[in-house]
Amino acid sequence: MGAATNARQGALYHQGCFQAARRNSVGGCVTGAEIVFYFLSAVAVLMAIGVVFARNPVHSALFLVITFLNVAGVFVLLGAEFLAAVQVIVYTGAILVVFLFVVMLVRPEDLGELSHSSRMQTIVSWILGLGLFGEIATVIATGVVRGQQGLITSQEVAQVGGNTQAIGRFLYSEYLLPFEIASLVLLVATIAAIVLGLPERFATPIIGRSLGTISLGHPKGSDLIHQDEALGIPAAGPIDLAQPETVDVEHAAEKQRRPGVQTVVRD
Amino acid sequence: MGTGLTLEHFLTLSALLFVIGLLGVLTRKNILIIFMSIELMLNAVNISLIAFGTSLNSMAGQIFAIFVIALAAAEAAIGLGLILVLSRTSDTVDVTSVSSMRD
Repeated sequence: MGAATNARQGALYHQGCFQAARRNSVGGCVTGAEIVFYFLSAVAVLMAIGVVFARNPVHSALFLVITFLNVAGVFVLLGAEFLAAVQVIVYTGAILVVFLFVVMLVRPEDLGELSHSSRMQTIVSWILGLGLFGEIATVIATGVVRGQQGLITSQEVAQVGGNTQAIGRFLYSEYLLPFEIASLVLLVATIAAIVLGLPERFATPIIGRSLGTISLGHPKGSDLIHQDEALGIPAAGPIDLAQPETVDVEHAAEKQRRPGVQTVVRD
Repeated sequence: MGTGLTLEHFLTLSALLFVIGLLGVLTRKNILIIFMSIELMLNAVNISLIAFGTSLNSMAGQIFAIFVIALAAAEAAIGLGLILVLSRTSDTVDVTSVSSMRD
């Protein structure tokens, strides 16, 4: 513990040096937590750079997974084990999977970037980014944290049974109202996502579409009858398979796949 | 240095990740990458919140981080729904080509 006692004020970890730890030139020593921290941050930052500069969105999403896993490791170093678990479950488990779903659902020919930033835009972005980093670094180097020290020391957390128990005690007492509001926000977001994902024919019936699709998935075998009913037109009789436009399944599917092609003119 | 991890270590990591995310938002044109960069920035802020909470012996930082994660999930659900609608209606996910509210 000799090296830890002269640790500077505010150190988050008052751990002794490992016996085998490498002594550095200043006379201090490199603790295990520090080695882990530098490794996790280096990988996280490198992968974050990969997210931003990868050409392929799938690569970006996979880089993002690695970044989030490393950030979860940093959370463990900070003593937030519950949040590390939430990070892995919610971010890498749910959000990133949804990201990959969307990357797969968007047609590959749409994924490419049509335009790249102009040279001016890139330069301004880098100036803004590096300027912001300079500002934050100055504040970190010179600023002093003036906060009231709370009561939840690591001994206190250990007394109630651990990090998860401590969070639960706060979340369901002091922060109960924000917690309920957050659940409401999630409900609204779920409804919004469902409405956004509805097929277009439920939102606005497409007027004047003459092509029908013969589909095994459709309850009536074709959506031609269904659409006529929706428009108030008397239902067409059984589909005459001799009609070329109804048997042209491939063409119809192509039209169906690209609803933007048929522009509906309204006044 | 070399005497344990301080608040500055974590804040520097947070700043680095945040600035990388900001560069992604500013330089890329693919809306999917822009969304991933926003998630990156939210995560960087979470590191800051938890580091401050731990250094001040307070639980509030971690509680705030939980709310940030919950709102990030809501934002991702709506945002990705919007991306799907965008690719269905305008055949691209490039933000510069989407300049009108209706066609």
